[in-house]
Amino acid sequence: MTMVAPARVDRTTLAERLDLIVAPVFAAVLAVIGGAVWLYSDIDDTTRAILAPEKLQKQLVETLVLGFASSALVILIAIPIGIAVTRRGLPRVKNFLVDTLGLAQALPAYGLIVLFFSWLGAGIGTVIVALATFSLLPVLRNTIVGLEQVDQAVIEAGRGMGYTKRQVLFEIELPLAVPVIIAGVRTAIVINIGMAALAFLIGGGGLGETINSGLKLDRNPAILIGAVMVAILALVFDFLSAVAQRYLKPKGM
Amino acid sequence: MSEPLIRLENVTKSYPGTESPAVGDLTMDVHEGEVLVLVGPSGCGKSTTLRLINRLIEPTSGRIFLKGEDVTDIDSSQLRRKIGYVIQQVGLFPHRTIAENISTVPKLLGWDKAKIAARVDEMLELVSMDPAVYRDRYPKELSGGQAQRVGVARALAADPDVLLMDEPFGAIDPITRDRLQNEFLRLQQDLKKTIVFVTHDIDEAIKMGNRIAILREGSEIAQIDTPEVILSDPADEFVENFLGSGAILKGLTLKKVRDIELHQIPALEMPVMRDEALRVLEESPEKTAVLLDKDHRPLRWISEASLNRTTQPIEKSGKPITIDLQPEDTLQDALGVMLQSSVGMAVVVDRKGKYLGCCSIESLASLIISDSGGAASS
Amino acid sequence: MDFLQSWWAFMSTRVDQIQVALAEHSIYVVSVLGLASVFSISLGIATRRNVLARELSLAVTSVFLTLPSLALFTIFIPLVGLGFAPSFLALFLYSLLPILRNTITGLDGIDQSVLESARGMGLTPRQVLLSVQLPLAWPVILAGIRVSSMLIVGIAAIATLVAGGGLGDFIKSGLARLPLPNSLESIWTGTLLCLLLALVIDLILQALKRATISKGIR
Repeated sequence: MTMVAPARVDRTTLAERLDLIVAPVFAAVLAVIGGAVWLYSDIDDTTRAILAPEKLQKQLVETLVLGFASSALVILIAIPIGIAVTRRGLPRVKNFLVDTLGLAQALPAYGLIVLFFSWLGAGIGTVIVALATFSLLPVLRNTIVGLEQVDQAVIEAGRGMGYTKRQVLFEIELPLAVPVIIAGVRTAIVINIGMAALAFLIGGGGLGETINSGLKLDRNPAILIGAVMVAILALVFDFLSAVAQRYLKPKGM
Repeated sequence: MSEPLIRLENVTKSYPGTESPAVGDLTMDVHEGEVLVLVGPSGCGKSTTLRLINRLIEPTSGRIFLKGEDVTDIDSSQLRRKIGYVIQQVGLFPHRTIAENISTVPKLLGWDKAKIAARVDEMLELVSMDPAVYRDRYPKELSGGQAQRVGVARALAADPDVLLMDEPFGAIDPITRDRLQNEFLRLQQDLKKTIVFVTHDIDEAIKMGNRIAILREGSEIAQIDTPEVILSDPADEFVENFLGSGAILKGLTLKKVRDIELHQIPALEMPVMRDEALRVLEESPEKTAVLLDKDHRPLRWISEASLNRTTQPIEKSGKPITIDLQPEDTLQDALGVMLQSSVGMAVVVDRKGKYLGCCSIESLASLIISDSGGAASS
Repeated sequence: MDFLQSWWAFMSTRVDQIQVALAEHSIYVVSVLGLASVFSISLGIATRRNVLARELSLAVTSVFLTLPSLALFTIFIPLVGLGFAPSFLALFLYSLLPILRNTITGLDGIDQSVLESARGMGLTPRQVLLSVQLPLAWPVILAGIRVSSMLIVGIAAIATLVAGGGLGDFIKSGLARLPLPNSLESIWTGTLLCLLLALVIDLILQALKRATISKGIR
């Protein structure tokens, strides 16, 4: 006797689709605005100097390096810690961490960057450490939450079948926690690219330099174009992360 | 008697901070090929006891033996790969296909790909699920009953000698549960595994178990014996209360239709005329007759009144017979069928559907009375 | 220890400045949260039946949150100039998502049987909304407001870069004068007062929670 089989389930929800559409649309709109400003506003020599392509390119690369290096650092630190504190026997450490880090979010990133500067001196390395500290929370919290929301019955079945604790972690818990963890990483990447704009404050370069020059020399087009570029950069990486999130989701979930 | 397959020897499990142990100095044997059901009230420790066997819970003291070998201290993950484990919520890996789920332990044991693939199909067929349809599906596409079938398939994949089941059908609707229980019993007849089964439902215990262990708090054995003995001879008040007042009715699951004498009423085989039918009914002390077809299979219940009420041919008078009993059905099933029947009786047929006789409420009642009389006097 | 002493000295001689900065920072937080709450909650209520409108609102407000803070603060300058206006606008846009998302989740999470019995008793949809749905969703909405407030307190420090005042002024002036004396103290002042403000706001919100949430659902 065979049983009646239900239809296969395979759908992209509206939310997932919008997730992949809205950011690029926004980026396009911003690009148009930026382009319009470039073409139609009063671009004097000072502005031209601020917006020199070689300068912009250099700053773009600097922003990217900062964003990625700090994100990589956060992932390397936060995920192992998240795994460690969700093992049996450490609930108090975990709760303590989550509570303190929750509060730490109210610390101004601006202040943190400057403080790190006072301790570690100028440059890219300082910015990376400061950014990593600031974006630690989303990745750590999501790692913890992601691991904790794995169905206990599935873990019990895995143990009961003979998976070692290590195997349960790598074969069951982590794969099932991946969607939540990646959401955290995505947040961290966006935060880091955004905060990298402040790197100029302590000699870390980046596109914030253009915005700052525009502010100092009172040239609106420079301010706007600088702001638009940073914004588009962040949106692009948010989009790429959203794509990764969608395609790294384990099948069957 | 041969060496028991599983032996728990003076096993105790106590948790720090609690007064009495969850499992207190338990010694219990499980014989090869039997289904031992652990049953008891909530919190008595039956699930804990089950999980001591595969050491998902480690004993505070005592020894555990599997096939004569002391397994108390060996690597627990290795131990569990030799034991099948089925839990109530099933716990299928949602991120893996059905096939991948079933092949979990074979993969851990290093079987080769071809052997695993063949085994997956074999297991799916064993639990009545078409491999071609279900192999590549994901757990989220299954109903509760299907999920548990896969759970059982997964537990049996590496062909363990022992199967541990913790309220496996508890989360399933009653109709599907009944079906799964029957299928499982048929499976066990073929596979003859050694099974330890935990349930809180005494009816399930009686139906599924070769032996039942009724457990008190601390997993203390109140009585461990076959269902027949426990039902007819409860060891103490605790067991009696646990069986409940329905014990006599529960006893009906232990007897089969073939154990009682069938009631014989007039049987009229086609072709037969109305007048002859009326004559037979007049002469007989019975009020109802059964109409059989040319192959001796029951068609309808016929009574004098129904014949007189209509001018229709005999094949259309009276009431149609829509359900029947077989000699292997339990008396509990028989009672159910009889209560549904409009004449308070049920026809009994053989494997080919040929009429053997009738099962009546009276014959059932006299059996119950004689049985309970026997119990009261012992 | 020396540092703590000089820090204390720094703060006690600048009480006026601290008060001004705190006041400016608090004004940002309160005004932004107030307006954003009204806006987000209304939006959440308005779009609760229309899936597309709802998802679109969520998507757009979450894009705001991905925009880098410096960019959002400065992008409106050509339109509204420097100071309070661009800072307020940026903070407002940032604070929308947490409140909106929690409004939607809160309204969604209400037990259907409660709503059904309310309608069954004869309450109009509007009455159901005001006397049943909102009160039941309120704890979740408040949680969203809390998340926004934590966010705003931290980001408002950047207002100083566009002449918007606030506690960020201490950080900026400290940075400018590094490594001269009192620069570090200035930076710590700005940073930790933000944290302090966050704690105070959290306490206020918790008190609000206790005052406005019925005992039955706490």
